[in-house]
Amino acid sequence: MAGRRAALKTIDWLAFAERVPPNQRTMFNNLKTRSDAISAKLTGLPEKPAAIDWAYYRSAVAKAGMVDEFEKKFSTLTVPEPVDTQTSLINTQEAESNKTATAYIEASKARITQYEKELEKFRNMIPFDQMTIEDLNETFPETKLDKEKYPYWPHKPIADL
Amino acid sequence: MLSRLVLVSGSALKGSGPLGAGLVHASRSLHTSSQSLAPVPPLPEKGGKVRHGLFPEELFQLLYPKTGVTGPYMLGTGLLVYLLSKEIYVINHETIAAISIGSVIVYAVKKFGPSVAAFADKLNDDKVAKAQEVKDLAMTNLVQAIEDEKKEQWRTEGRSMLFDAKRNNVAMLLETNYRERLHTVTNEVKRRLDYQIALQNLHRQMEQEHMIRWVEKSVVGSITPQQEKESIAKCITDLKALAKATQAKAAV
Repeated sequence: MAGRRAALKTIDWLAFAERVPPNQRTMFNNLKTRSDAISAKLTGLPEKPAAIDWAYYRSAVAKAGMVDEFEKKFSTLTVPEPVDTQTSLINTQEAESNKTATAYIEASKARITQYEKELEKFRNMIPFDQMTIEDLNETFPETKLDKEKYPYWPHKPIADL
Repeated sequence: MLSRLVLVSGSALKGSGPLGAGLVHASRSLHTSSQSLAPVPPLPEKGGKVRHGLFPEELFQLLYPKTGVTGPYMLGTGLLVYLLSKEIYVINHETIAAISIGSVIVYAVKKFGPSVAAFADKLNDDKVAKAQEVKDLAMTNLVQAIEDEKKEQWRTEGRSMLFDAKRNNVAMLLETNYRERLHTVTNEVKRRLDYQIALQNLHRQMEQEHMIRWVEKSVVGSITPQQEKESIAKCITDLKALAKATQAKAAV
């Protein structure tokens, strides 16, 4: 009996929905409908079954001792709880997803630093009307004319002019 | 004019400087200050000012402290008169050609200079604007990319909610199953007890009916014909008495 009650955590579906990226929205909706169906079924069932009126049965049934026997057996009967096979699976899934998430966050942070560096480069650039061609080639290496490959002016294929 | 001369000779020397880095000192001989690697200062907006289209303004500024406003003009007039009178400069047809061509050139530059300059500036400005656009676009894209990355990181923080939801589902299913089992047990026990009661009731009912039928049969069988005649005669006399009583009542 002890393991049963503590399991249910309240889930804030609104906050959850905010965090879902748009390409996973259908999966999220399916999950939500399934969860709602399950919880509806749960709340539809009363927690304890209706008590059996033993006194009435004792007075009504003629066979001696039958009711007493039933009552004794019934009170000593314990219904076994269903075995939980899935929670450990879910826990392993969660551990895995935590790992991938941390890896993703690391990669994302690396990307952010790279973007920040490029942004800094753009911010610290001198204005275009004060640049010389050498400055331009430094800031944007792709504008450098390849004088070895194309030794004659205009130092790039004619089609690129 | 003289300052221009210096500049022109300086640039010519620099341009014709010998190749190779080792001989750079010869080409830099006119640099008076030490070299600095600072970025090139911005180009001046307008060219050097000139008076009357030919004479640089610096000359007038140079002579102003000593000789005032008319100084350069006096210098020019005196110089011209000296050259002509001493025949250092001889007037010939080339002079006329020079004067006409010079005046036309000065007039043309004065008239069309600004518009040509504006046109050239516009060409340059277009190039700069295009480059600026590229730069701005790149910057906004980078900022947007950083925002998106931060948003995705925030999104991953919600992953625990998914697993909470899954565990909740599992717990709810287990609970539902357990309750269903309890209910099933109770219902089965009730059914068995109710069956016993129903069985008893059925027994009693059948016994009752059987007894009634048996009693009826025996009673009907026990009525002998003699008793039947007697009972019929008694019924008739009773009826007659009753009829007399009701007739009497009705008459009253």
